[in-house]
Amino acid sequence: MDLTRQDRELREVYGLALDLAAKTAFALALAAFAVYVFGLLPAYVPPDQLPRVWSLPVAGYLEATGAPREFEWRLAGYGDVLNLAAIALIALVTPLCYARLVPTLFAQRDRLFALLALAQLAVLLAALLAG
Amino acid sequence: MDAAASLPWWIWPLLLFAVSFAIGVVAVLAGIGGGVLFVPLVSGLFPFHLDFVRAAGLLFALAGTLSAGPPLLRAGMASLRLTLPLALVGSLASVAGARAGLALPTALVQTLLGTLVIGIAVLVWRLRAAGSAPLEADALGALLKLRGEFHDPAAGAAVDWRTHRTPLGLAAFAGIGFVGGMFGLGAGFANVPALHLLMGAPLKLAVGSSVLLISVINSSAAWVYIHRGAMLPLVAVPAVLGVMLGSRLGASLLRRAPAALVRRLVIGALMLAGLRALTLGLGLWT
Repeated sequence: MDLTRQDRELREVYGLALDLAAKTAFALALAAFAVYVFGLLPAYVPPDQLPRVWSLPVAGYLEATGAPREFEWRLAGYGDVLNLAAIALIALVTPLCYARLVPTLFAQRDRLFALLALAQLAVLLAALLAG
Repeated sequence: MDAAASLPWWIWPLLLFAVSFAIGVVAVLAGIGGGVLFVPLVSGLFPFHLDFVRAAGLLFALAGTLSAGPPLLRAGMASLRLTLPLALVGSLASVAGARAGLALPTALVQTLLGTLVIGIAVLVWRLRAAGSAPLEADALGALLKLRGEFHDPAAGAAVDWRTHRTPLGLAAFAGIGFVGGMFGLGAGFANVPALHLLMGAPLKLAVGSSVLLISVINSSAAWVYIHRGAMLPLVAVPAVLGVMLGSRLGASLLRRAPAALVRRLVIGALMLAGLRALTLGLGLWT
């Protein structure tokens, strides 16, 4: 397979995965946001209470509200915590796309770029786990 | 912020959505993530604390580039081959930069950022666009096969491109990643000059590939803010929705926009963001 065809295939594979993952994350973020702002679930900090605390630094905000730092399954019933999970999905899109790209690179026998993609995936997963 | 406090809470997410949409259009055309425009503008005009604005800004840049990526890839306006090695170096450096940046005072970071961005704007303005004649590939560029054929629909011409000064390009992206991580931004403001002026990629391909680079590099940094509890959904989600829709429009405009217009937009966006960061850092307009 020549380089132009290989590149086109890579663009198609990555673009399709990116489109699907980004749209899914976008839709879930919108749905979770609607749940929060319309009060369909209880919230640690209801939207109408936020103006009292949104000008505080993050440490002061967490202390004043007792809001969790990040998503926890046991708190999934709170609208604002559910929103954090949806936001985290947006940051997961790129690792998912790289995971989709790696088999294609191996199938094209482009081992150098497959290894580069695997190394990138490792960096992204390290950031995901350690922050 | 007394006047701001008297407004109903729901006005702010609506305004944020509108501002984010507008920045999303311009950011894609300029090949930047938009965080460099979003953070200074929103922190200056909205009542939210800078911590939440920076977190939302990072997600904003990420979401905008994720949204713009598919149409750019379909149209051949971004090169994955060019992106992969540069994004890897940039990601590693951005994590190191983010950790280093936490030790510096905010005002100093803002001042350094403003100076840097204005310097890049002047550099892009002074240097002419690289010619369309194919450049000689260097050994590393040839090894990585960093070449291709780029079809510019606006010019109606195909350009054979290959990178040169590839080792310098990788070093530049290590520096850009470090600086971007340090300032908590996407660092797209430096990607286009590095890809186009240093490595010789065609300007529009540089702009499109810069969008893809930001989507990879910012994903790592976004997790730092998520883990620290700085993602406020009422700030982050309207910004993300606005920029995702705005950048879709920007990506479709990029195919038809003349290269000269894109160049002017790059310079204008850099000057605006740089001056705002400088005035914030020096305490001239807070």
